[in-house]
Amino acid sequence: MGAMEKMGDSVLAGAREYLTFRLDQEEYGIDILKVQEIRGYEPPTRIANAPNFIKGVVNLRGTIVPIVDMRLKFSCSKAEYNDFTVVIILKLNQRIVGIVVDSVSDVMELSTDSVKSAPDVDSVIERGAVLGLGSLGDRMLILLDIEKLMSGAAMALVPDAD
Amino acid sequence: MAEAHQENSSSGADFDLSQFYQIFFEEAGENIDLMEQVLLTLNLETADDEELNGIFRCAHSVKGGAATFGFSDVAELTHQMESLLDRLRRHELQPNATMVDVLLESADAARVLLARHQAGDTGESPSNVDLVRRISLLAAGEVATPAAVMLVVQAPLPVAPMVRLVEHVLPVSPSVKTTRSLEVRIGPLERPVEADAIKELFRDIPSLGVISVLASSQADTRVFAIETSSSDEDLLDLFAFHVAREQVHIKCLDPVTESPEAAFDYGFFDRVGDLPEVTSYDDDPPPGAPLAPLPGFGFFEGAPGVPKLDVAIVEAKAATRPVALLAPPEAATIRVAISKVDQLINLVGELVITQAMLAQNSRALDSALYPQLLTGLADLDRNTRDLQESVMSIRMIPMSVVFSRFPRMLRDLAGKLDKKVDFVTQGESTELDKGLVEKITDPLTHLVRNSCDHGIEMPADRVRAGKPETGTITLSAVHQGGSIVIEVRDDGRGLSREKILSKARERGLEVSDNMPDAEVWMLIFAPGFSTADVVTDVSGRGVGMDVVKRNIAALNGSVEIDSAEGYGMKVSIRLPLTLAIMDGMSVGVGHEVYILPLSSVVESFQVKADAVSTVGQGAQLVKVRDEYMPVIELEKVFQVPRFDFEKSCDIMVVVEADGSRVALLVDELLGQQQVVVKNLESNYRKVPNISGATILGDGKVALILDTGALVRRSRH
Repeated sequence: MGAMEKMGDSVLAGAREYLTFRLDQEEYGIDILKVQEIRGYEPPTRIANAPNFIKGVVNLRGTIVPIVDMRLKFSCSKAEYNDFTVVIILKLNQRIVGIVVDSVSDVMELSTDSVKSAPDVDSVIERGAVLGLGSLGDRMLILLDIEKLMSGAAMALVPDAD
Repeated sequence: MAEAHQENSSSGADFDLSQFYQIFFEEAGENIDLMEQVLLTLNLETADDEELNGIFRCAHSVKGGAATFGFSDVAELTHQMESLLDRLRRHELQPNATMVDVLLESADAARVLLARHQAGDTGESPSNVDLVRRISLLAAGEVATPAAVMLVVQAPLPVAPMVRLVEHVLPVSPSVKTTRSLEVRIGPLERPVEADAIKELFRDIPSLGVISVLASSQADTRVFAIETSSSDEDLLDLFAFHVAREQVHIKCLDPVTESPEAAFDYGFFDRVGDLPEVTSYDDDPPPGAPLAPLPGFGFFEGAPGVPKLDVAIVEAKAATRPVALLAPPEAATIRVAISKVDQLINLVGELVITQAMLAQNSRALDSALYPQLLTGLADLDRNTRDLQESVMSIRMIPMSVVFSRFPRMLRDLAGKLDKKVDFVTQGESTELDKGLVEKITDPLTHLVRNSCDHGIEMPADRVRAGKPETGTITLSAVHQGGSIVIEVRDDGRGLSREKILSKARERGLEVSDNMPDAEVWMLIFAPGFSTADVVTDVSGRGVGMDVVKRNIAALNGSVEIDSAEGYGMKVSIRLPLTLAIMDGMSVGVGHEVYILPLSSVVESFQVKADAVSTVGQGAQLVKVRDEYMPVIELEKVFQVPRFDFEKSCDIMVVVEADGSRVALLVDELLGQQQVVVKNLESNYRKVPNISGATILGDGKVALILDTGALVRRSRH
């Protein structure tokens, strides 16, 4: 129905769809096309000597998938695990990674006009991993280049360059 | 050519390569198909490096294989193709339509040659002298001008998979044998004497038929009567060495038997006088469409004194008879995409997990109440195990299958290079996944060839350097932790740091004089990098190492080079154990479960508090019978969280790796089971002391310990 037309229009306007999720008080958006699925949190198998935000690995239908707690990575004040804790399974360039977030809010379409470039600020997010800031009324959406963020050295998810 | 094959079959007694022929033919066929596909879609203006490199690698692989198996005609042809492609990929030449045409034609010719070898070398070998010459002209950067070209028509075979090729060829060949009477009128000629050379053709090639001179009404025209079994097309090709094709008029005096080839019209006659830049495939022929021989090459302007005429004619004659192709013997194997086998293995892995879960849950059931259910589950247990073993065995083959193809290759190679080489293999029984074996064979071939060609010195040089006259190349395979390590070692001249650095500068790579050795050695993996002084048939284009690196990286493996100038070189290939089923022992540490490879477990025992003694800064040793061995507390290595009130570990598991033993301190032994080894690195990264992961019966992930790493750790 109208969905196809809507999609066609949005391509013309350069709009993209983002999955938004919350970490503490902040709202983030990532490219919906990078998302494979959303699951409930189940305790992963811990990996020794890994950074604290890497919770371990889980079995995703036969595939071993690492789980990163974004709340710990972004130094949120609390990171609780309960029945409502959500894991977003990302399908990045040939890799599958799960991220733990407080909650998944919505899927939104943002046109390029409504995305502003982010000013340089001192932040736990490495520079270049923020695509921009989307404004939705009075809410601010931090758009992440999740591919870049997850493959960065600070994530310790990929082998070191050597 | 013929001699080479003779030699093959006679010396086959010392080593039988035939088991690999089928693989080679299949691979070569695939490579040629791939090359053709890329060629057909190649955009001449914007050909990118990846495509050009891709085509080049196809030709290179076919050449390498053909040389290994002694198919020197194929090797020669592909060698020429490779030379041309090499210049293209280095952007020394700009690709053009003629090149593509010639390369496609070469691909066809290579197929014909391969089909002939596959059919057991029956029939006369087709000649590609002309083709080879044209490629080398193109490679030299010249336009192959018609005057410089002799045409030797390849039996016009449609491009099709080999089996279909047979159907196409067979109807042609029998009728060609029948003798026909022809009247051939040649002229008008400025110097009619030239036409007399035709008679010599028949004298030189007795099988061509009988020729006699007929009276001619015109002084500038000669007329001959010919009895021959060759087709008009072939005769024209031969005559074209002496007179221009358009001056030859053939009339069949025997209307009953007409040459089947006459029915083909390849447009040779319409294009007379055209330049050879022709028939590009811009108008998109379907891939695999029959390729007409090149118009524009098919005429000859009557230049007398073509060099090596006799040879060329004999070769040409050979080409007139289509290759008698036999259907290759039907293989008792089927080739299945690896992905299908992988899927099967994954599914079986899941099934094993489900089965384990069922077994676990049914343990509490009373066998008196549910006898049928429990019998059924026991059957399921046995069947899954058998199924798993069968599925796994599809893929596992011993390294000897790979290793055994080298002695023969090295013998030939050493003979060709006048070198003396001993070949030693170690660990032939190490089993390796078939997918890995297939992919590791080519890189290994390159490495062994490189060792022989560049590594091992000439006997005289070796003696001068104070080394034994005979060099040694060692190929070894060993399981090490979660990896398989394959090493190619030679005691030759090693790598020259200076040479590599200067070559790297020449090629514009960024290098500095104080780079560490290891980095310098890695330079030889750059595409097109070769320090060999001469490009030989064997190696020296630098493509080898590029391919080696690429193939191994594709397997998630790594390559390391160790070299000492004057003493030799060692290339170690480390491949992860991406797929294997392992007998594991599960041990509990705190609330966590770890898997030990059962093969490395020696014994386990409950430890008494006084059996552990410390040395120096707290390193612990335990006395097991009369031997002291280091103790590794897994709890500490893996930082297992533990509550104070819990009991501490009191069970030791002695494991052996790399010839050393250590005792691992664990909480409890949980049991033995077969586990599917999963790679942690596909989505994560290498974890110290861990070789992989597996999925337990309850769906949880358990990590598999890398006992080799643990043993090495204890030594530090």
